[in-house]
Amino acid sequence: MSDAMTANPVQTRKTASPVARLVGSWLPPAVTFVIVAVLWQVVALNNPYVLPTLESVGNSMASDPHMYWANMLVTCQEIVIGAGAGILFGFLLAVAMSELPIIEKAVMPLIVVIMVTPVVAIAPALVVAFGFGMLPKYIVTGLVVFFPMLVNSLAGLRDVDQKALDVFKTLHASRWETFRDLRLPGCMPFVFAGLRIAMPLAVVGAAVAEFVAAGQQAGLGSLVTISAAQANLPVTWASIALLCLLGVVLVSLLALLRKRVLWWSDADVIGR
Amino acid sequence: MQVSNITKSFGPDEARVTVLNGVSLTIRKGEFVSLIGPSGCGKSTLLKVVAGLSDADGGSVSINGKSVAEAARRKAIGLVPQSPALLPWRTILDNVSLPIKINPAANAGRTLRDPKEILTSFGLGKAMDRYPAQLSGGMQQRAAIARAFVFDPDILLMDEPFSALDEMNRDQQRMGLLDFWQSNQKSVLFVTHSVPEAIMLSDRIVLMAAHPGRIAEIIDVDLPRPRNEALYATDAFRDLEGYVRNALRKVMEAAHV
Ligand SMILES: Nc1ncnc2c1ncn2[C@@H]1O[C@H](COP(=O)(O)OP(=O)(O)OP(=O)(O)O)[C@@H](O)[C@H]1O
Ligand SMILES: [Mg+2]
Repeated sequence: MSDAMTANPVQTRKTASPVARLVGSWLPPAVTFVIVAVLWQVVALNNPYVLPTLESVGNSMASDPHMYWANMLVTCQEIVIGAGAGILFGFLLAVAMSELPIIEKAVMPLIVVIMVTPVVAIAPALVVAFGFGMLPKYIVTGLVVFFPMLVNSLAGLRDVDQKALDVFKTLHASRWETFRDLRLPGCMPFVFAGLRIAMPLAVVGAAVAEFVAAGQQAGLGSLVTISAAQANLPVTWASIALLCLLGVVLVSLLALLRKRVLWWSDADVIGR
Repeated sequence: MQVSNITKSFGPDEARVTVLNGVSLTIRKGEFVSLIGPSGCGKSTLLKVVAGLSDADGGSVSINGKSVAEAARRKAIGLVPQSPALLPWRTILDNVSLPIKINPAANAGRTLRDPKEILTSFGLGKAMDRYPAQLSGGMQQRAAIARAFVFDPDILLMDEPFSALDEMNRDQQRMGLLDFWQSNQKSVLFVTHSVPEAIMLSDRIVLMAAHPGRIAEIIDVDLPRPRNEALYATDAFRDLEGYVRNALRKVMEAAHV
């Protein structure tokens, strides 16, 4: 794809037609998916207790879309609120740490202790502390994304161009001016690297939160555990597929946002 | 600008290395002074001290009779670092306008220049709305110089601004700076490794020696202004170049004994 953008008149090869290019980029993955689907069907038809057939998964979704939709919304809510708070808090704490090193000294050891504690082990304790509502699930989802956001944002805020910083210092730029015009925009590549890790983790976090902090049994993760316990494989795999879809959508949205915010960091994109 | 008796050393007590030892120097208003010397003799360190980016252990720097801290507060210092250090997310115009926008309290009572006009006179009129990554290295460095001139500082400090450029480009940028400076005479302290560059641009060349960093000799460049490329071919230029090279060689040999 980037070949098209950087194409240079001097060394242009015979450019492929748009249809050919589309086929070229879509065909290989499509073939992979078809092969996997065929293998899946072969296993499913011969071992009905291992995998459901693809039709049965599809039928399950088609027969009760509202049920899936409602559960997906619950999981989305956990991601938006829980991961959203974790991301925001991770970023803000990174800003505080980079502006006031004393905060990093004071807080970082505690954060490392929390982060090496398995979230799966904290969750039941959170349920005891905060009850069976949504709060423990938000906390678990938020905890999972918090650390990669904190670490990446902090690295970005520290990675400021020293020569540009010197220019700011000789101009006697205030702390706020230096943050607004230099550190904040400059740390965005790292923030997006953090988000790229955090987004898939947010889905994992929400699913795990529903497994371990059961409470009200709702969400795609709960659906997986309940249906698996009943050996209702079509529902289990339909829920897994939807969790996967959620992850893909989140990562795609992130890629779109990155293109808008971070156009300047990819040399290819600038040449618009 | 006046630098008196600057000393600076680095390192822990046992292994302390003196990098600058009793450096004194005065730059008159509108004078172009080059700093030349062997690698590691403390040129960048001296520039950092003058820019207020690093504190000296002893001695003092005053700019227009004021301390460096006071000068910085008034935005009296223009810095051109070794790399252009432009902000990649801002257009060239926005990059060059930045010093006007920052610390606006210090804008009162000075003749700010129009960023567009200054970019045009640096030959970047067509590149104003482009982003740094879309410009060649030479154009980026010119934009960095324009950024230092735009807010009309009392003194400009440049640390090998052309060192990352190839020879042809370098000469072109050098002549561009010469032209611009000759019509806007500002005090400049210019670090370079190139003898012809130092001669072409400067009123005086400060030759530094290493271990510890100190001023070995101050050489007056009595060549008429305005100057242009034709000067390279003159005997006066060649004689002076031979003299400076010789002085530089002596300084470097002395360091090896
Ligand atoms: N922050 C520092 N800590 C320790 N030593 C330093 C530091 N900065 C510079 N030095 C030392 O001071 C000496 C002078 O460095 P400086 O960068 O000023 O040299 P220079 O003349 O600019 O050299 P060059 O021509 O290679 O740029 C060097 O020996 C260097 O190792
Ligand atoms: Mg240097």
